Amino acid sequence: MKLLKTFKNGIIDENPTFRLVLGTCPTLAVTTSAINGIGMGLATTAVLIGSNVVISLLRKFIPNKVRIPAFITVIAGFVTIVQMLLKAYVPALDKALGIFIPLIVVNCIIMARAESFASKNPVLESAVDGLGMGIGFTLAITAIGSIREILGNGSIFNVPLFGESASPALAMILPPGGFLVYGLAIGVVNLLTNRKVTTAGCGAHEAGSGCDACPANCGIAASGKEVQE
Amino acid sequence: MTTTIKRIRGGINPGHHKETAELETVRMPLPSRVIIPMLQHLGALCVPLVKKGDRVLVGQKIGDSDKPVSAPVHSSVSGNVTDVRPLIYSNGMEVTVVEIKPDGLQELHESVVPPSCADRESMLKAIRESGIVGLGGAGFPTSIKLSPPPGKMIDTVIINGAECEPFITSDYREMMENPQYVIEGTKKVMEITGAGKALIGIEDNKPDAIELLSSLVSDQDGIEVVSLPVRYPQGGEKQLIYALTGRKVPTGGLPMDVGVLVQNVATVSFIAQYFKTGLPLIRKKVTVDGSAVANPKNVEVLIGTPLKEVFEFCGGFCDEPRKIIMGGPMMGVAQHSLDDPVLKQTNALLAFGESDAEQPKESVCIRCGKCVAACPMSLLPLYINLNVVRGNFEGIEKYHVSDCIECGCCSYVCPASRNLVQSVRIAKAELRKAAARKQGGGN
Amino acid sequence: MEISLLAGSSPHIRSGESTQKIMRDVIIALLPAAVCSVIYFKVQAAMLILVTVTSCVAAEYAWCKITKKENTIADLSAAVTGLLLAFNLPPSLPLWMAAIGGVFAIIIVKQLFGGLGQNFVNPALAARAFMVASWPGQMTSWQAPGWDAVSTATPLEIMKKGSEAAGELPKFWDMFVGNIGGCIGETSALALLIGAVYLVARNVITLELPLAFIGTVGFMTWMLGGSEGLFTGNFVYHVFAGGLILGAFFMATDYTTSPVTFRGRIIMGIGCGFLTSIIRLYGGYPEGVSYSILLMNLVVPLIDRYMIPRSFGGGVAKK
Repeated sequence: MKLLKTFKNGIIDENPTFRLVLGTCPTLAVTTSAINGIGMGLATTAVLIGSNVVISLLRKFIPNKVRIPAFITVIAGFVTIVQMLLKAYVPALDKALGIFIPLIVVNCIIMARAESFASKNPVLESAVDGLGMGIGFTLAITAIGSIREILGNGSIFNVPLFGESASPALAMILPPGGFLVYGLAIGVVNLLTNRKVTTAGCGAHEAGSGCDACPANCGIAASGKEVQE
Repeated sequence: MTTTIKRIRGGINPGHHKETAELETVRMPLPSRVIIPMLQHLGALCVPLVKKGDRVLVGQKIGDSDKPVSAPVHSSVSGNVTDVRPLIYSNGMEVTVVEIKPDGLQELHESVVPPSCADRESMLKAIRESGIVGLGGAGFPTSIKLSPPPGKMIDTVIINGAECEPFITSDYREMMENPQYVIEGTKKVMEITGAGKALIGIEDNKPDAIELLSSLVSDQDGIEVVSLPVRYPQGGEKQLIYALTGRKVPTGGLPMDVGVLVQNVATVSFIAQYFKTGLPLIRKKVTVDGSAVANPKNVEVLIGTPLKEVFEFCGGFCDEPRKIIMGGPMMGVAQHSLDDPVLKQTNALLAFGESDAEQPKESVCIRCGKCVAACPMSLLPLYINLNVVRGNFEGIEKYHVSDCIECGCCSYVCPASRNLVQSVRIAKAELRKAAARKQGGGN
Repeated sequence: MEISLLAGSSPHIRSGESTQKIMRDVIIALLPAAVCSVIYFKVQAAMLILVTVTSCVAAEYAWCKITKKENTIADLSAAVTGLLLAFNLPPSLPLWMAAIGGVFAIIIVKQLFGGLGQNFVNPALAARAFMVASWPGQMTSWQAPGWDAVSTATPLEIMKKGSEAAGELPKFWDMFVGNIGGCIGETSALALLIGAVYLVARNVITLELPLAFIGTVGFMTWMLGGSEGLFTGNFVYHVFAGGLILGAFFMATDYTTSPVTFRGRIIMGIGCGFLTSIIRLYGGYPEGVSYSILLMNLVVPLIDRYMIPRSFGGGVAKK
């Protein structure tokens, strides 16, 4: 059950792209087509799972003071593997993603998961977290890539949608289009998912202990007043 | 001798509406009661010198203060004190008022004799005793204004006859009806301050007054009547000084810092009359106008007369009044009760019906910059408003909030009808609070 | 008689000016140029104007409905944006592209940033920039005035080619009245100037920004634009051909995206003029008015922050 929650966490509640707004550089740069999005997402997922597992395994041995260089070394190892695999089997995708594959080494999502999750949790959970986060990232940038490809190139996964004579809005696959779609997508996702009503401030309400135990004395839980975030 | 007139910055032309200009001032009969507040000036509150049941006479001092910045108040009628009670002004300030029921005899108090003055000191003392304050609207005690601290030299006296606010014509009537007093008072002020020059500034929509006063000063040395272009707020103190002398009063400074003293025409006219008769400030010329007033006119009113009786004297209301303004429409204060009295510095009472009283709805600022262009003080009202609306008072003084003279030009021109002046007032209040906190913390 | 009195802060009278009246004046000022565009580019121009204005107003209406805000189409600002956008489009542009431009201007540039008074760049120009990036071919194919839709080059494109093409330049009078290729609303300097005079007379705009803008372009192109050394540039054509008159009087003066102080407006005008000249003389594009205005729009908050005027009689503005 906890594993499922961890898995879901990466996809929805703490989606690295739309919620944590991490890894924005590849998000903006490579999402010019859906296929790029998937490629980038899967490559990142592979590295994320691998690095999470290894860092979790080593979490008791890595000295706290040098943990970041240690994390980077581990991550860089996996990135090298992934890059070599890509070069060997899908050279076209490797070419399209270019510098952003090696740059996965310093991808914020991977660093953040290593730092905040893998270095504190057991192996299995870290692997599931990596998988969840990776899938969340993949889904997000594939969605952005699809939107940009449809609007900017008139196709999806390189399948033309509107015929020869169409003139799609080229700007959407240019950098401004990346910012536009990313920004709007964050807005829409917030609109759709953040609509749940939560109580403001304290955890006392959620914990069910009520206002009496709480030093903040905001009175919200007692009054039953709920605010929309 | 001619004076070159500098054009003031910004400003607006809100229309004159001076329909009452040619109506001779009428003296209003005795009201049924008078309510005399102990604070009719900028400065310290006076202490009542009478108590309930006392009989008072016309011109009798009924309130005074030993604080330096103050002016005594006098009874405007003879009769019995019926009450001494607190009253809340329309600006939210609480003051003590003395209510007197006139007995109709209008007996003069024994103190009402022309003052005999030999030197400057005794003249200043007499002026303080007369209860006179700046009648232009601000109400700063005149005796204080006339006695600058040592080291400040006044070389020019400016008599403010601009009367740039719409509707108001009481100063114009004063100039037309008592021109010789205006000149005499001017000379008196020059004598007291030692200034060698006096300029009487009048907006050129009052050609008759300019002509009349010019003819009277033609044989006077040092006094000149200057015609000013019509532009609100030409009569603002700092603006008037700049227009007539080209001098700029520094931020936080006073006119005396640039060697100038400004007095309203009604003030100097009163000073001359006081030295002649010894009757203190107990009555005031007031323009009563506005769309809801049946018979607009200029009225000479006893100070303390309830507004209701003044309006009744002017034929009552021809339309249901929704807004009563004491002062002009640009800077006057909307009154909340018709039982409030006429004050020393009241120069107009305006009543407007529904259609004129309603303020247009605020809409969003479009940053047109019209308020910036209209501001005579070179401020940025839109940014002050923006910060106030957001509750962001930190660093708001960089917009020179305290320099605002609250003339209302910005709000007047705003196409979005934003309450810019109001936000400046809020900002000023916040700054005062912050200053008080700072001071309190330091001690 | 018991009466209820309204309180309220002074002043108690207002000028009666309103956002709607200002926008109406801008529309009136744009009418001569709109008429000229229809005279020269016929039905195409009329359709473009109709489509952009409709799409802008419809987008604003829809946005207000969807977000449950007070309906703001009555302030006419959306209509002004639509009109200005149409003026910045080439006559042969497919209408659906124009419609998308209108929606982009209102939804993306204006409403997403908070609506009227909040947008940080000029909506019409930002939409144009988006369209140029999206459909570079269609957005830069010009046609000569008339029914035949003969493709042509704008005077600025001819000048970009250098001195050997100087013979192809249209006559000055044709250029002044607008009988040349270009965006539908920018060609007729005469009609735009008539509108500008109206705006100035109605006190909607002040002259410092447009004059600084045009003056800078004129001076820089005169000084640097010639092939025979300094001060040989054809500045007259640089001023009257292209979008300078439209940009200087109607786009750069957009209230929301221009400084509020006199000095700030001069700075913005000079900045726009400088960037325009640089783009025209040394950049890849023949025309740079819209990009220069967009770039200067971005620094307007900065200009306003540093141009707080010294108050009357007051000291220097504190940091």
